[in-house]
Amino acid sequence: MRKFFRIYQSFTKAGVENAMAYRTSFLCFALGESLYCFVMYFIWKAIFLSSGDSSFLGFSMTDMTVYVFLSNLVGFLISTDSTDNLAEEIHDGSIIMRMIKPVNIDYSILAFELGNKVMVITCIFLPVMVGVEIYRYVTLGYVAFQLGNFLLFVVSVIFSYLLSFYLNLIFGYLAFFLLNIWGFSILKSSIINFFSGALIPLAFFPGAVRLVFEQLPFASLVYVPTMIYMGKYTGEELAFALGKQIFWLLAFVGISRFIWSLAQKRLAVQGG
Amino acid sequence: MIYVDNVTKEFKKVVKESGLKGSISSLFCRTYQTVRAVDDISFHVPKGEILGFIGANGAGKSTTIKMLTGILTPTSGKVKINGQVPYKNRKKYVQEIGVVFGQRTQLWWDLPLTETFSVLQQIYQVEEQEFQKRMAFLNQVLELEEFIKSPVRTLSLGQRMRADLAASMIHNPKVLFLDEPTIGLDVAVKNNIRKAITEINQQEQTTIILTTHDLNDIESLCKRIVMIDKGKIMYDGSLTEMKSKFGKYREVNFSLEQEAEFEKLSFAADFQVEKEDIKVNRSKEKITVTFHAGKISVQSMLSYLLKRVQIKDISVNDVNIEEIVCRMYGKEVTGA
Amino acid sequence: MRFFRLYKTFVIQHIKKLMEYRVDFLTGAMSFFINQVTNIVFIGIIFSQIPKLQGYLFYEIIFIYGFSLIPKGLDHLFTDNLWKVAWFVVRKGDFDRYLTRPISPLMHVIMETIQFDALGEFIMGVILVVTASVKLSLSYTPVSLCLMMIAMVFGALIFTAIKIIGAAIAFWIKQSGSILQIFYCMSDFARYPATIYSSGVRNIITYVIPFAFTAYYPCSYILRGNGPLFCIGGVVAAAVVLLAVSLVVWSQGLSAYESAGS
Repeated sequence: MRKFFRIYQSFTKAGVENAMAYRTSFLCFALGESLYCFVMYFIWKAIFLSSGDSSFLGFSMTDMTVYVFLSNLVGFLISTDSTDNLAEEIHDGSIIMRMIKPVNIDYSILAFELGNKVMVITCIFLPVMVGVEIYRYVTLGYVAFQLGNFLLFVVSVIFSYLLSFYLNLIFGYLAFFLLNIWGFSILKSSIINFFSGALIPLAFFPGAVRLVFEQLPFASLVYVPTMIYMGKYTGEELAFALGKQIFWLLAFVGISRFIWSLAQKRLAVQGG
Repeated sequence: MIYVDNVTKEFKKVVKESGLKGSISSLFCRTYQTVRAVDDISFHVPKGEILGFIGANGAGKSTTIKMLTGILTPTSGKVKINGQVPYKNRKKYVQEIGVVFGQRTQLWWDLPLTETFSVLQQIYQVEEQEFQKRMAFLNQVLELEEFIKSPVRTLSLGQRMRADLAASMIHNPKVLFLDEPTIGLDVAVKNNIRKAITEINQQEQTTIILTTHDLNDIESLCKRIVMIDKGKIMYDGSLTEMKSKFGKYREVNFSLEQEAEFEKLSFAADFQVEKEDIKVNRSKEKITVTFHAGKISVQSMLSYLLKRVQIKDISVNDVNIEEIVCRMYGKEVTGA
Repeated sequence: MRFFRLYKTFVIQHIKKLMEYRVDFLTGAMSFFINQVTNIVFIGIIFSQIPKLQGYLFYEIIFIYGFSLIPKGLDHLFTDNLWKVAWFVVRKGDFDRYLTRPISPLMHVIMETIQFDALGEFIMGVILVVTASVKLSLSYTPVSLCLMMIAMVFGALIFTAIKIIGAAIAFWIKQSGSILQIFYCMSDFARYPATIYSSGVRNIITYVIPFAFTAYYPCSYILRGNGPLFCIGGVVAAAVVLLAVSLVVWSQGLSAYESAGS
């Protein structure tokens, strides 16, 4: 175990350095993306003004604002560059450099990304979360933050990050078989955006559709952790949601290992 | 043809302070440092000459080429090429020059080579008839036929370089700038490229400025060289003259009948010269002595050796240009 | 004339490339398409609960939303290469090659790429505008139809001008992709009626970065009959001013690049 950490901590260190080098660019990017939260915020404000009701499908205006910002935040926490990076490495052949090192390919990428996450957590997650809690306090008049929910949220986000990571890894491996995966990569993002609940809470969909959407792996990415943070899940529901995350995570790890072994065979045939 | 007069180029560089405190303070008040990349250089190149432009990395070579091609504007001084000032009316000027940057291609990655050429034909407004003639010539010199239908991304490095050379000459430029045109190529391909460059120069009387780290390029292509170091011209003249000016060194290679006799030789002491004027290198039985021919004549060196020891085999050579350059830079030549 | 012929050569090449990478194109265009569908589903869900949003009917919102995609798609189709300048062409020093060619570097950059994926956005926009027009039984006159087209073209130029400015910033700071990203993301505000925003936001998207003119104002002329002088004239004025500014910034950037190098 000690050896395990010693090997991979060098990747993490490189990840932190990389994140520091591109921090301005990354923070600007995050700022640009977050503008959309404000568009959504104003739309919800208009909706609540127009409906005259204080609740929209069981969500209050405060709930909606928290959902909009938090789901985006989760989106940031679980985002990963592994598809694009891996595809690039596969196309320019530098994937060989990973293969000749005595390390596990997914752990080495994961360790590298962990370095990046350190910055996301300190520079984006903490400030936004504090902002959201201040907003809740101002509009509700009491402290709505619950440590229990927060801790469960942290666990759930870790699962969804790993899930997102392996999902993207699988897409990255596709570059072994396809010439250009750029189109697929964009398509993947839009599908995830929709089915993960990043745009619309899945609770808003009509009965049967909602039931199907909630079982798909995408729901485990954004919707589940956000709902947990907001305390919308209790007891059985909560256990079930976390269970689904674990189930999909294991499934995706399995698939990625399988594709990797196929790809390695293919690589051997091609001779690199 | 090419006139460069007292050209200087300075860059402002932000001085970065380390640490968080430094990066915050640099947000408000930046300290600049002026770097003089090119320092008062002048040279002329007549029509039809191939000029070798050499210097170590960071010597100011690229900056000079960029000024001559109109990409950069000099801080002071004058450049006049084909009667035009490159950075003044760039669009008109570049119509008459061709540029190859060996490190990066100027071709469109996804376009087949033929299409690349027809796009360039439009960009440079080459008449169809003239274009066909040009293509036939370039085809013959650079042997493009075998890969002309392939997209650029599928070409090997050697093919790509040939294609880049052809692309830079579609519009029959009067001046050609070749920035490291043989970088990364194997010896056979290098020879091909050199042959093509010579042929183009001879047939079209194209003036060529060539930068390279490969001194074999220089030896086989250029009669004249300009050497630049730390932004200043260190040498401007013919290759042979350079060899005699900086290269008054000769090399004696010999081997001994009895290797123990080597002990009898102590060059620096016997000739009473400085250590740097003579260098002895012994590998197995082969002994190489490099010496300053102005201080020690070849004759006296030979007679000294013949008197002291029993020679099995001996030869006297010119020191090659790499050695000279190394001496001038006082360091290793990169990429040579 | 010369540009036209040169552009034709590039366009033909892009179409050939498109055929070669059919799958890429289809997936790319499809993803833009799906992105729009998801947003429309979202709007649909809203209107399943409320009859009107701030006085706008479902199809009126769809009209504005669809309209906003048309200028954006047009610009995306023709000037996508500016993103590359912002992200890496300048940083990697590849911009030099544009400077060794006897045509305007800006024209050269723009002509090099046609991003057919943008057709996904564009076609979706047209479908939405047409559907909404039918459902709302809007009556067009030749004049209003003409003004609408003008607004779409000049709306696209607003996007282009902002992209030129964003890309030109790279001449000073080497990489401006993320800054351009922020500007560009502000166009998200244009998808919905400007009246839903607070006055501060509304003023910014009207007078500072005038994305409101790419959809909301021209639409308010068609949907509400608001004065064409401001609603359509404003688009033209904003585009012309912004484009002039962008060209100045670009040429300033170029001369900064010439004196600084890479």
